[in-house]
Amino acid sequence: MDIYLPIAEVSVNAPLLVALGALVGFISGLFGIGGGFLMTPVLVFLGIPPAVAVASMANHVAASSMSSVISYSRRRAVDFRMGGVLAGGGVVGAIVGVEIFRWLRLLGQADLAVALSYLLFLGVIGGLMLWESLQAILRRRRGEPPPPRRDRRPPWLYGLPLKMRFPSSRLFISVIPPILLGAFVGVLSAIMGVGGGFVLVPAMIYILRMPANVVVGTSLFQIIVTTALTGVLQAGRNQTVDIVLATLLLAGGVLGAQFGARASSRFRAEELRAVLALIVLVVGLRMGLGLFVRPDEPFVLMSGMGG
Amino acid sequence: MIPVAPPPLVATPPAVSAALTETNVQVNSGFRGARIVLYGAVFDPLSRPSDVVVIVRGPEQPVRIARKTRVLGLWVNSRPVVFRGAPGFYIAASTRPLDEIARFSELRRLGAGVDHLAINAPDEQRIETRYGIRDMVVSRLGADYFDWRRAVVRLKEKGGLYAVDEAGVRFVDKGLFRAEIALPAEAPIGEYHARIVLFQGGRPVSEKLRTLTVAKVGVERGLYLWAHERPWSYGLAAMAFALGAGWAASRAFRRD
Repeated sequence: MDIYLPIAEVSVNAPLLVALGALVGFISGLFGIGGGFLMTPVLVFLGIPPAVAVASMANHVAASSMSSVISYSRRRAVDFRMGGVLAGGGVVGAIVGVEIFRWLRLLGQADLAVALSYLLFLGVIGGLMLWESLQAILRRRRGEPPPPRRDRRPPWLYGLPLKMRFPSSRLFISVIPPILLGAFVGVLSAIMGVGGGFVLVPAMIYILRMPANVVVGTSLFQIIVTTALTGVLQAGRNQTVDIVLATLLLAGGVLGAQFGARASSRFRAEELRAVLALIVLVVGLRMGLGLFVRPDEPFVLMSGMGG
Repeated sequence: MIPVAPPPLVATPPAVSAALTETNVQVNSGFRGARIVLYGAVFDPLSRPSDVVVIVRGPEQPVRIARKTRVLGLWVNSRPVVFRGAPGFYIAASTRPLDEIARFSELRRLGAGVDHLAINAPDEQRIETRYGIRDMVVSRLGADYFDWRRAVVRLKEKGGLYAVDEAGVRFVDKGLFRAEIALPAEAPIGEYHARIVLFQGGRPVSEKLRTLTVAKVGVERGLYLWAHERPWSYGLAAMAFALGAGWAASRAFRRD
């Protein structure tokens, strides 16, 4: 059952893509992340031009985040005000990111930027998360109590101007850190074809000190706004969104996400985090490996004329 | 018995004729590539030994290519180089290996064989006076120029877009030949030209041109045109559809 993708201009196996969408959707629902960081490399591996894979992923991520954010908002686990501030930064970041990606493609350095950002961000975040979750697992095995949470309020978070009250998160902080964080994630979403949940979730917990129960829902809300804009911008500026590809992926993705969200209650949080950290780390290292190994073929064709 | 003299030979020049079994390749959602069969005939009253070369070229597509170089321990792409004159699809099928059929200069003139494709990188060239010779074409790629050019062909061959088939044309009967051209699913959309050349004694003596169109049809065509002619409305609709699907799935799975 092969199907021809009108924008990517390649023929792919449709059931395989639906299954891939379902698998990534399951992982996404299980861990509360978008899953773009897993899907984009696999699509490129399957022979889809990277520019099309990155752009079409925005639609897929928006759809699966939409599917889960509604259930989070029913549980009042979304801080819409914080999400709005993050998304405000995300909008600026996405616009800048799409232009940066265009410019990198013209220079022929899009591959390098994608590989480096995967190696850097996934490597660091995966490594930190793995370390933290393994310690949590070991402590529980030994029966030690969890370390007291340092609840000192960092002065830079509270000293900055433009303070705003976020009742759902029980915070009264400056809007500058969330806007900067949102903008950073917006740039990543355009360059890496990811939603950015893997950056946003830890940053909201450790930097903004938001309560854990609203973090995932708020991150998903911000991801919807940012990826919706990225998807439209990529289609309008670069004509690289393949609606057939996105549809195949999200058909599996939205179903997988629902099953993943249900399965997540069966596992301990720190064990889930450890598995996710391993996946993140392996993907990051795999993508970055190519930068260090002497290539068999020293030449590469660049798709399109950079337009 | 008086030997009967053979009838006087009319000096009709040898000629070749050919037809494609399909002149329109339709790219729809089930497109997985196509096989185009070409039949042709050689008309030669003298039945001199003949060779046939079929060259199929797709629409021209400039090629951007970069070389991986090591910078600070990392393998990164060099500045991309643009090669012009490269067809998006190319196959040279013949009855025998091309270098047995004709000499280098004839093959070069016809562009027969991947080594004879007229591709170059004009943006890298400049004209200067060297050793007192005016109007020398110098490539900024220097001595590596041929490595770059060979890499273009090699990568296109790997993608199934360039090929040389030394036994791709077969004589199925006296004067009647057949060639089969495999178009991969990645073959570009556009107009293809098939050039059928008859060689005798190392010289091209007759040739025919045939055209083949590869076009998207139906839904594929509609989506492609929409995405390229009204990209903003396409992007908005695609995103609205994605968000709607996400919403619908959450409704369908609602547990209350």
